[in-house]
Amino acid sequence: MKHFLDMGGYWPFVWPAYAVTFAVMALNIVWARRLLKRSRKEALRRLTIGGTEK
Amino acid sequence: MAWTWFHRLASPPHVYRLSARLTPWLAWPAALLIVAGLIGGLWLAPPDYQQGDGYRIIYVHAPSAWMSLFVYTTMAVAAGIGLIWRMKVAHAVAAASAPVGASFTFAALVTGSLWGKPMWGTYWQWDPRLTSELILLFLYLGYMGLRSAFDDTQRADRASAVLAVVGVINVPIIHFSVVWWNSLHQAPSLMYLGKPTMPPSMYVPLLLMLVGFTLFYGAVLLVRLRGEVLSRERAASWIREAVRT
Repeated sequence: MKHFLDMGGYWPFVWPAYAVTFAVMALNIVWARRLLKRSRKEALRRLTIGGTEK
Repeated sequence: MAWTWFHRLASPPHVYRLSARLTPWLAWPAALLIVAGLIGGLWLAPPDYQQGDGYRIIYVHAPSAWMSLFVYTTMAVAAGIGLIWRMKVAHAVAAASAPVGASFTFAALVTGSLWGKPMWGTYWQWDPRLTSELILLFLYLGYMGLRSAFDDTQRADRASAVLAVVGVINVPIIHFSVVWWNSLHQAPSLMYLGKPTMPPSMYVPLLLMLVGFTLFYGAVLLVRLRGEVLSRERAASWIREAVRT
């Protein structure tokens, strides 16, 4: 395990690279969900204010 | 008949429902492929004869760089379709893609820089490949900045689409930069046609990651697209039903 984590001495470069990439992926999931939630809320608000539907 | 699918794709309620239905079909295979690619890339693939275990950065760097180009091309094509056919859904695809592409361009630059330090002895060099990739990040940021400068979505769609289409010229420049100019960056390891420069134990995990990242983009795009489509609709009757589900 220690050998694996050491990455042949390249651990200070390999692991941060993986961390940044997976942080970017996680953020993409969070941002996408947040956008959809906000748009739904906004659409609901417009419907309530607009009152009548077409 | 042949064009029915194209016309259906122009219909916001159809796209909204289709996106919701398709998302898990892209998200789960993406997760599985990425986990398989990680196991293959980090454990099963042998160390490189020159770079040792340092080369394993390729399994996140190359897919991120691929995403930066693929997402931009998708964005530019969608923006072009939006401009030519005045298709709201196409503009929504372009707008939904930009933050995804920008974030992966950032990841490609950072992981490349982390790979460059031990192998080239520097985090950064004003080299053709690196510089053109940095310009790509600015193009994404410019596109997003331009969109946010307009209150009116339709005007934002049209203005930003022109920028996206013009900026697509940078995509082949990035791709061929390592061939056209003398670059620190290595030539492509996986060619679309021709033999890869790596053994299967090294390139199969890379292929899994490339496909996994692309499907991930598809899943994130579909979720964002639903948001973008909703924000472009005003009091249409289908919205009431859509926001409840």
